Amino acid sequence: MKRYQAVKEQRTYVDRTLIFIVLFLLCFGLIMIYSASAYAAMRANEGSAFYLFSQAKATLIGLAAMVIVSRFDYHILRKLAWPAYGVSCIAVLLVLTPLGMTKNGARRWLNIMGQSLQPAEICKVGVIVFFAAYICANLKRISKASGFLQTMLLTFLPCALVYFVTDNLSTAIIIFCIVYIMLFVASEKSIWYILGAVAVAGLALLMVYVVENNIIPAEMSFRLNRIKAWRNPEAYASSTSYQTLQALYSIGSGGFLGKGLGQSTQKLGYIPEAQNDMIFSIICEELGMFGALAVMLLFILLIWHFMMIANNAPDLFGSLLVTGVMTHFAVQVVLNIAVVTNTLPNTGITLPFISYGGTSTLFLLTEVGIVLSVSRSIRFE
Amino acid sequence: MRKKVRERSKENKNKERPKENKVRKFTSMMKKKLVLLFVAVLAIFAGLLVRIVHINRDNGDSYKKQVLSQQSYDSTILPFKRGSIEDRNGSIFAYSEKVYNVIVDAKLMNTDEGVHIEPTLRALKECFPEADIDEIRTYIKENPGAQYKKFLKRMENDKVVKYREMEAESAADSELDESEKISKNAVWFEEEYIRKYPYDSVACDAIGFVQGNNVGQYGLEEFYNSTLNGLNGRAYGYLNNDGTIERTIKQATDGNTIITTLDVNIQSIVEKHIREFADKYKNNYRLGPAADNVGVIVMNPNNGEIYAMASNPVFNLNDPRNMEDIDLTRYLSLVSGNKTEPDVPIDDEVAVDEEETEDITEEISADDAGEETLNEEDITGQAEESGNSEAETVSEDPLESTEIKNAVWKNFCISDTYEPGSTMKPFTVAAAIDAGKITGNESYECDGALEVGGHVIHCHNRFGDGILNVREGIAKSCNVVLMDIAFALKRDEWLRYNRNFNFGLKTNVDLAGEVNGAETTFTEKMGLTDLAVASFGQGFNVTMIQMISGFSALINGGYYYQPHLVSRVINPEGAVVNEYGDRIVKQVISSETSDKIRDYCTAVVMSDPEECTGWTARPAGYTMGGKTGTAEKLPRSAKNYLISFIGFVPAEKPEVICYVVIDHPNVEDQSNSTRLATLMCHDIMTEVLRYLNIFPTLELTEEEQEQLKNSELDFSEGAVSENAVSGNSVSGNEAQEGEGQTGEDAGTVSVDNAMVPVEGEESGERVIQYDPETGFPIDPNTGEVLDPVTLLPIDENVPSDLEF
Repeated sequence: MKRYQAVKEQRTYVDRTLIFIVLFLLCFGLIMIYSASAYAAMRANEGSAFYLFSQAKATLIGLAAMVIVSRFDYHILRKLAWPAYGVSCIAVLLVLTPLGMTKNGARRWLNIMGQSLQPAEICKVGVIVFFAAYICANLKRISKASGFLQTMLLTFLPCALVYFVTDNLSTAIIIFCIVYIMLFVASEKSIWYILGAVAVAGLALLMVYVVENNIIPAEMSFRLNRIKAWRNPEAYASSTSYQTLQALYSIGSGGFLGKGLGQSTQKLGYIPEAQNDMIFSIICEELGMFGALAVMLLFILLIWHFMMIANNAPDLFGSLLVTGVMTHFAVQVVLNIAVVTNTLPNTGITLPFISYGGTSTLFLLTEVGIVLSVSRSIRFE
Repeated sequence: MRKKVRERSKENKNKERPKENKVRKFTSMMKKKLVLLFVAVLAIFAGLLVRIVHINRDNGDSYKKQVLSQQSYDSTILPFKRGSIEDRNGSIFAYSEKVYNVIVDAKLMNTDEGVHIEPTLRALKECFPEADIDEIRTYIKENPGAQYKKFLKRMENDKVVKYREMEAESAADSELDESEKISKNAVWFEEEYIRKYPYDSVACDAIGFVQGNNVGQYGLEEFYNSTLNGLNGRAYGYLNNDGTIERTIKQATDGNTIITTLDVNIQSIVEKHIREFADKYKNNYRLGPAADNVGVIVMNPNNGEIYAMASNPVFNLNDPRNMEDIDLTRYLSLVSGNKTEPDVPIDDEVAVDEEETEDITEEISADDAGEETLNEEDITGQAEESGNSEAETVSEDPLESTEIKNAVWKNFCISDTYEPGSTMKPFTVAAAIDAGKITGNESYECDGALEVGGHVIHCHNRFGDGILNVREGIAKSCNVVLMDIAFALKRDEWLRYNRNFNFGLKTNVDLAGEVNGAETTFTEKMGLTDLAVASFGQGFNVTMIQMISGFSALINGGYYYQPHLVSRVINPEGAVVNEYGDRIVKQVISSETSDKIRDYCTAVVMSDPEECTGWTARPAGYTMGGKTGTAEKLPRSAKNYLISFIGFVPAEKPEVICYVVIDHPNVEDQSNSTRLATLMCHDIMTEVLRYLNIFPTLELTEEEQEQLKNSELDFSEGAVSENAVSGNSVSGNEAQEGEGQTGEDAGTVSVDNAMVPVEGEESGERVIQYDPETGFPIDPNTGEVLDPVTLLPIDENVPSDLEF
């Protein structure tokens, strides 16, 4: 008891560095959004700061959510596991109801009281919370074949919903990756996961080979076509790979120190919606390779902090929660940069905290709130 | 984070795990896996960073350029307007008209879910009936991102204005449903200029045409290409501090207009007579055109201004590549091999040339009629010329053949050389008198032939003309007299004068494609026989423009003027940029010599018909001087001739000189067909003199009055040319602008107007009537006889001092 009191007298651990990194990324993101979107906003007669204000609003709400969530004990989330899973799936299904909203030709949004919301983002948080609790409760079973299959079924449901209902392959992949890596970390037979990942990578390479050599006609699906465009962007310069190629031009024209903040020319109508998925290319153009390196270092620091919190969390549940969040960030950053640099075929993935997107920022901050909540429960000797 | 931490396991166990007894821990194995993951992420980041560096290193420069070149999308070229070509009275030979290309921006069309597509297409269909709307619709559907597609080319201004009005109306109409509105800016118009020639084929050789709207080909269009062209302007946009696009426009500089010395009416008169001749003698004696070439130049001998320059065949400047209406029979040898030597293989070309040369030389020495021996060089040169054209013996469609097109476009008057024949005789005489070798009072005896260096060279009249003085020698065109004079002159002096008269040199007339004929003129190597035949214009080649320029100097007092077609260059604002005055190049002979030559030439036309060769050339009522020419062509054995006449009016003080060349006329007896040239000169001069207000000074015989009456009918009815009528109405106000500049004096205005077919004006009314007795003009209002010079009423009892 004495010892306990002594511990209690210690102030709770707050990861200030993490908070600083997050705030820095948020501010930097706002600046870049303003830089990248001012032209497009004015072209749309909305005033140059339209996207900036919209994003700032979401950021403030998100920060509030982060603070609130970080104050709660994260163990509550264990009880909310199944409801979170249900809400995630239903939210995605709601897109099919009149609440659904179509933007840019894709029905991926919900319109709730005039605010647009991307249910796929809710789904990501829900999946992290649910599987952290689920793995915690079934730690032995998931290493067995039957338990693994059951887990996979639970994983595929939200993935399938996201893919088929909102036609959003990239988010489905991210959700799958999050669960897969959480399982990998928790499972006792992790070697199979590595083999599985290698197998998937091999399949993907085979697919690329097949498409590239026209064994399957690429016209069958626009996704196959994207693979062709990915391998040879110049050949599809005016159609499929227009955006990719413009992003590459942007990156290539930046040089080491870039053209200077706000000096990008590619954002003037050449890169469509430069403030969105392709914002990293604007960073490269305006701030150069140096700016890109700085941003990547910040994300590495962020992920490093997540890892340390996960490794020092008081229990498995907390660790798995943080692992999920860490995976979410890592996968999204890696995929985004890979797409922008045409290392992977083009697919719509945003850069956390920097790309424009209210829902995304709001839920990412909520996730950071969960991580902070876990970190608060860490006690020092 | 490196601090040691400790979990609250015991507390947790007691408090918060009611169901499971032990709290699951994040095992060290899991921690290791997480670290492994982090390392993997680090590795991927490193890989991505390498990728970024690679993009910059490998493609940085090209992408930078790409980015910059994309920026230029916002700048558009504003085309300049090429200057016009006008005649001396402001009639427009060539001008550039603004037209529009219709550009469709499919991306803009597809905005608002494409509701504007159909109304826009309807408007397009209404304004541009020739548009293929289905094609545009399919294109928009299939290329939704495309922003630039040219659908219609060279649309007229009024259609574009109509569409713009419709677009503006639909945008302003607030009651109109959104789906009924025309898409704004999705269809726009790109400016371009096209070249138009209102008179179609008139003066085609002199004017030339353009390729790609701004590159002159042949004639004035090529020679004055840089003068006529302006500078393209540019409209470009940039982002200002507020992020809005600021447009800057650098206006195009339009090209300068050139005012030529040509007169569309004289040109049309000339072309009318060439056409009449071509029609009349087509397939006359042999199958084929009336002549291989017909060339006519009319100019002012006192300043070198060319009034008209024409040759046959003509082509339509608005469609120069269309050869369908042109008689190409003469040019067929250019594509399907030489008619006279059909079996000549290409490989043996050189050998054949040598044979040919020998043949000719042999023929000349063997044949008594052979008038000359030529320099080996000259003949080889000429033979090679024909050999070159034979080399192109690939059979192809004559309508598409480049060789034929070039031959049709070529201006015979400046680009072809030929042996001039007897029109050269006055030059020889002038040289001899000016050099002091003869006085002009000498007499020579002609017995029909002269033996020179072993060759017997005949006179045209083989029976001999007896005793002739110089004047009669010219009038009768006696070769023997001329040979004697040339022998008196000697080779060096002949060569000196020949060069003084610019033979073998370019006249520097302001037309593209002039040749100098230097390789076919005599050099110091010329022998006695050469000198003999050169005295009457055989054995060396000249161009028409050299001939007429030199002849002008012979009769105008000895002043050699540079022939020219452009008098002024004016800029788009109408200010004179450049004025080309009369350029005296040199005085070639003394004015006393010139007086004598004028007198001799007058004898050619004005003597008794028995005593001269050119009497048929004289227009009724005028005094005229001139010289006929009948040149024997190579090979001599073919007995082909080039006939010509060069004549000037009035004989005492020449104001117009006209040179007619008919190459290889389609008649049986070519050697006696010189009348064809003199008659054509007569016909042309009859109309031109009256048009130029040069009044007749001689009384007319009854026969002539009758003739005049007939031609007057032609004159007023046919007016200028069928082509000319279509001319002035085409170009709208631009073409009309020039009409006002005509005014010189009261007398000419009326005549000018009569000739220029201005809309709503009856040309017949204005034709000047002539007093049948004196040939003097009659005031159309009062009926009084007017003085031909002052145009004031004169007392008929006072004889005009101008009477000849």
